[in-house]
Amino acid sequence: MSYQHAADNWFSAIIIALIATAVLLNIARAKAGAQLYIRRIPGLDAIDEAIGRSTEMGRPVTMIPGLTAFGVVAVQSLTIFKYITKQIAKFVTPMRLLTADATVYAVAQEAIQDAYNEAGRPDLYDPDNVRFLSDRQFAFASGVAGLLQRERVAASFMFGEFFAESLIFAETGNIVGAIQIAGTISFTQVPFFVVACDYTIIGDEFYATSAYLSREPVLLGSLVGQDIAKLLFILIIIVGVIAATTLGKDDEFIKLLGMPGGWDAFWKAIFGGS
Amino acid sequence: MWQIEVGTTTGKVYVTLIVLAFLALFLGFIPVMQALPPRGRRALIALITFFAGLVFAAEFFLPVDKKGENWLSPAIDPAQNTLQIIGAMALALGTYGLIRLHLRNIVQQRSQWGYSVVLIVAFLTMGFFSVWKTLAEKGELRQTEFLQKGFTLLFDNMLVPLEATMFSLIAFYIFSAAYRAFRIRSIEASILMFTAMMVMIGIVSLGNIISYSWLGLPIEQTAEMEQNPFSLRNIGYNLALPRIAYWILQALNAPVQRAIEFGVGIAGLAMAIRLWLSLERGIT
Amino acid sequence: MMEQQTIWHRLLMIDRRILYLILFVNIIIFLLIPVKVPTVTSPPVRKFYDTIEQLQPGDIVMVSSNWSAGTIGENRPQLEAVIRHLMRKKVRFTVISFDPQARDISFRFISRVTQEGGYQYGKDWAHFGFLPALVAGIKGMVKDIPATIKQDIKGTPIAQLPVMQGVKTLADYKMVIDITPAGTVAAWIAYRPKDLIVLFCPTSVMAAEAYTFLDSGQVAGMLTGAIGAQEYEQLLQQEGLGTPFAKAISFSHALIILFIILGNIALFMSRRAQGG
Repeated sequence: MSYQHAADNWFSAIIIALIATAVLLNIARAKAGAQLYIRRIPGLDAIDEAIGRSTEMGRPVTMIPGLTAFGVVAVQSLTIFKYITKQIAKFVTPMRLLTADATVYAVAQEAIQDAYNEAGRPDLYDPDNVRFLSDRQFAFASGVAGLLQRERVAASFMFGEFFAESLIFAETGNIVGAIQIAGTISFTQVPFFVVACDYTIIGDEFYATSAYLSREPVLLGSLVGQDIAKLLFILIIIVGVIAATTLGKDDEFIKLLGMPGGWDAFWKAIFGGS
Repeated sequence: MWQIEVGTTTGKVYVTLIVLAFLALFLGFIPVMQALPPRGRRALIALITFFAGLVFAAEFFLPVDKKGENWLSPAIDPAQNTLQIIGAMALALGTYGLIRLHLRNIVQQRSQWGYSVVLIVAFLTMGFFSVWKTLAEKGELRQTEFLQKGFTLLFDNMLVPLEATMFSLIAFYIFSAAYRAFRIRSIEASILMFTAMMVMIGIVSLGNIISYSWLGLPIEQTAEMEQNPFSLRNIGYNLALPRIAYWILQALNAPVQRAIEFGVGIAGLAMAIRLWLSLERGIT
Repeated sequence: MMEQQTIWHRLLMIDRRILYLILFVNIIIFLLIPVKVPTVTSPPVRKFYDTIEQLQPGDIVMVSSNWSAGTIGENRPQLEAVIRHLMRKKVRFTVISFDPQARDISFRFISRVTQEGGYQYGKDWAHFGFLPALVAGIKGMVKDIPATIKQDIKGTPIAQLPVMQGVKTLADYKMVIDITPAGTVAAWIAYRPKDLIVLFCPTSVMAAEAYTFLDSGQVAGMLTGAIGAQEYEQLLQQEGLGTPFAKAISFSHALIILFIILGNIALFMSRRAQGG
């Protein structure tokens, strides 16, 4: 049996419900007016500085959402790029958004056009600035590297899911002297961004970016809910470590936590019986 | 009810009715959207988004029978196939955008339009041979020697080496990035440098040569060493570079990665909930 | 004093093209020179080997080959060594790809290697071609393979292949070996049948992600890039491409470390000269 439904794994079903509850409760709190705190993230403070530098040098800004297929990560990347585009529109800085997924390309066109409209500069929008290069990893990498070199970009924003091509982007940006800010959920690419980029956003800071930049109550509330969920995870780990150490691995409680199984196993463990 | 037997007359009638209903819905949808005020439009989109997501969420949480399925399970495959089809249509849109941009570059002779010529020629050539090969494999066109030689030249002798070359660039970029970044400038930079050097030496044969050939450290742990963990031999065994590298990867890297993945997973779930309930204003 | 300062400063500001040239020459030299380097098998490779050694003749294994031309240097030695080991154990295997280019590349290389072991296509092994969606594909194979895949790479219906005798779902397989440059192993772990063993052959870059799965036992063994392939070939006592590639990698690492040390010396000396 594989774990494809809540009935296959009661533990994950309960955890998902708890996380959702924490997030929704705190969104409600934020909407009701609670003041919520978010710590400083230096990489995100540097976005305006990077755009300013590009404007002074008269060279374009590139935005790369990586090899992200359309989904939650791509939506977050485009949200960030929409914010950056609104800033760019104020200074009339040229921009290029380069995608490797056709669905992301289609949505990006709409998002960037909306950004220019919201900034009051619909005349600045050029559909050719949002480009689909290729869905092949290294064809995309060579296209991006070529564009970074030819146009001598001054600022490069890389937010999304990256694989082996991340160092090609980052090092090429370094060669042309661009200021680079990267944010990724891809754990294995973080070291490459750390050594080659000016600022790197790691892990769930990537998802916090939209809350940080917009300070919208819903997003801040969701962030607080996520932190509460993380605290819950820490608590579960501590309980599990203490239980495993004191009870031993053959105890029924440990076996129940270690191999959740379906709801039958759960009810049987709680109430006994066959 | 989610799968229709298209071979039968009833099935064909159902399919026709469903296609016509979708067309009517789609054509009717546009005037309705235009007639509605912005708030109404947002509410309608939120409703559609909610019900679309509800199918997947409900299918996960509803109880299942002995086969591991519930009444919504047969709907999942067609839904995912629909997503694939939308992705394929988007690919056509993306390709159109790419070709349009480069054709415009050529016609208007914009800066560096020569590269656009190369792209268009490469695109057409590769596309021609790929389509011919696919149809020939299905038996709809003839497999000729010209096709075979052309496809081998383009795929085996050009595409494969070009992709391998792009990947190999990473090795050179790592060299220049490591040379530039791994300097003792601060405590954090020093820790980064020493850890990277330990892992780099430890995972390759150089670590074996230094630890086992030059320093003569034990390669395997004997029963005696296990019983005396603080003996010199056991300490030597654990200080071998390959063991240190493996310990860094297993005991330092893995827990940190787990922690980051927990955070990313929770954040991804939170964002999915916000998108499903249309609480995310982001790109909309 | 001025002369020394200039040398250290020049070393700090060395043109990256010179670095690339040095690395290029280093790789070529050590690919060509027949130097024997000692190898000690790492625990993940040992676990990988031992897991396959437990297979019995007639068992069936799924090989998920998702790499394309870009990672040929790391994944091809892994694939060939794995196929040779499976043939040695006289197990049946089927191959699936979730990337269109991976389908052609894997079919070509496996066809070549299986000729060494006298394996017949259709009877001892088969290639299921390309499935576009990873998660949907795995879920479908868990339920019913012939209904999900329908036909093999040559157009033969899956159910008619002799290698698929007595096999209907993924639960009938003993293990899945995922050879990939991407993060596909998480999907195999999440959606596989509970008793299906997962073995992982990533590129070196992606291997760091898999240590959590190795630690928890969700992945039974791992070959890390060309280095892992070299250790595995040593266990098999059959040299393939992993051994010369790993040798070149080893000496490249040595070169990089040497230059890191030189760079730090240059930084220290130039700071001292400025301070002086």
